[in-house]
Amino acid sequence: MAQTRLGQTALVAATPVVTFPYAIQLPLMHPADEALVARYVEEADQAAFRTLVERHQERVFSYLRGMVKDREVANDLFQETFYRVIRALHEERGSYTGQGKFLGWVLRIARNAALDHLRARKKWQDMGPDDETGQTGWWDRLPDDAPSALELVQGTEERDLLTACIDQLSPDQREVVLLRHASDLTFREISELTDCSINTALGRMRYALVNLRRMMEAARQNEHIAVSN
Amino acid sequence: MNNGTKDILLHLYDEATGAEDLRSLLRDEELRQEHAALSEAKFRLDHLKKERPDPFVLDAILAAAATGEGLPTSGQRMDRAALPVNRRLRKVVIPALSTAAVILFGVAVGQFSTNSGTSKPQDTAAMAVGPDDLVPPESLYRFVPPQQRPTPASKSDPRLAWDDAAPILGMHRRIQTLRPDGRLDWGEEAVPLESLPGNGPGRLQMTGTRSQ
Repeated sequence: MAQTRLGQTALVAATPVVTFPYAIQLPLMHPADEALVARYVEEADQAAFRTLVERHQERVFSYLRGMVKDREVANDLFQETFYRVIRALHEERGSYTGQGKFLGWVLRIARNAALDHLRARKKWQDMGPDDETGQTGWWDRLPDDAPSALELVQGTEERDLLTACIDQLSPDQREVVLLRHASDLTFREISELTDCSINTALGRMRYALVNLRRMMEAARQNEHIAVSN
Repeated sequence: MNNGTKDILLHLYDEATGAEDLRSLLRDEELRQEHAALSEAKFRLDHLKKERPDPFVLDAILAAAATGEGLPTSGQRMDRAALPVNRRLRKVVIPALSTAAVILFGVAVGQFSTNSGTSKPQDTAAMAVGPDDLVPPESLYRFVPPQQRPTPASKSDPRLAWDDAAPILGMHRRIQTLRPDGRLDWGEEAVPLESLPGNGPGRLQMTGTRSQ
């Protein structure tokens, strides 16, 4: 079941609807991505496209937001991503081939847009193999204008602290965390999207979890010290 | 990352089947601790706040989907301004110059290899590896007058064959004349000049006896 997380809606649509009267309405209420794409492309159904965007907006936007660490930039990239989607769908569906992978296709476009942006700002140069060891690159060691995880301890909620800790991860580890937890991709889908082996994706996730745990513990200890003082 | 840790992660994210497998993995103390540590971090990530774009962004996208307005044409990048003219020129001129330089270099290398390929290898002097090989090829003697061309040195003669030129031979003879019969080394006791070999033409003589 988890292997087909991307095609979740497709499974719902394909489920036999014989037991509940409500379920007869289910395919109409939750049509599969492929059906919505077909309706938009072939019938110019704007409502179908709106449903698609609204269905996946959180997964795509959270990924972009985590990658670029800036809400305004994420807004721009989100808009650009779906502009590219619209253009590609109008050009005989572009590279989209269906098969329940609409979100994966959109995320690939979003990732390309994010990488283009990061390359343009020369922030992607340190995506090296040292990330496998949990060590961050030179870019992440540079002073940052944003407050560090430890600085955010006082007066911040747990979620903000977690977001700050994720921002401190290396780009590779951060991307896997975002794709798994924000975009709900499986590790196999992550490995396909990021052009790496599934073992590499799992390794990055493991180091990300270990590093996040360390950062959260350090933040909590500092908070305890600050309160006791 | 070993297979145990990999399986732990897959179980943690519900991407592996078989609860029995997980139980067998957790019998290992090390993997059990790993599972506990990763579970704690994963639990926090499960409550990661998901964000939505601003409403006006959705409106712009839906408007573009309906009317096609604002969409870039194929090949046009939306996130970058058009390239300035000088940058565009640079993008054309530099690659063209680079290509021309590579072609010129290739032609030069080809010409060089063609020329070197036509020269006969036997014309070049071979590397000397033995005493006999030190005799230069006869072609070199064309620069020496015929009467001065030396005869090849015998094997017992320590002189090199190319030392046989007349001026060199003359210099060699003079050096041999100056050299005393007995070897003198540094640190030896001083000897009277009379004891040194003399009385021959070119031999060392006492200054007082030179006119005699």
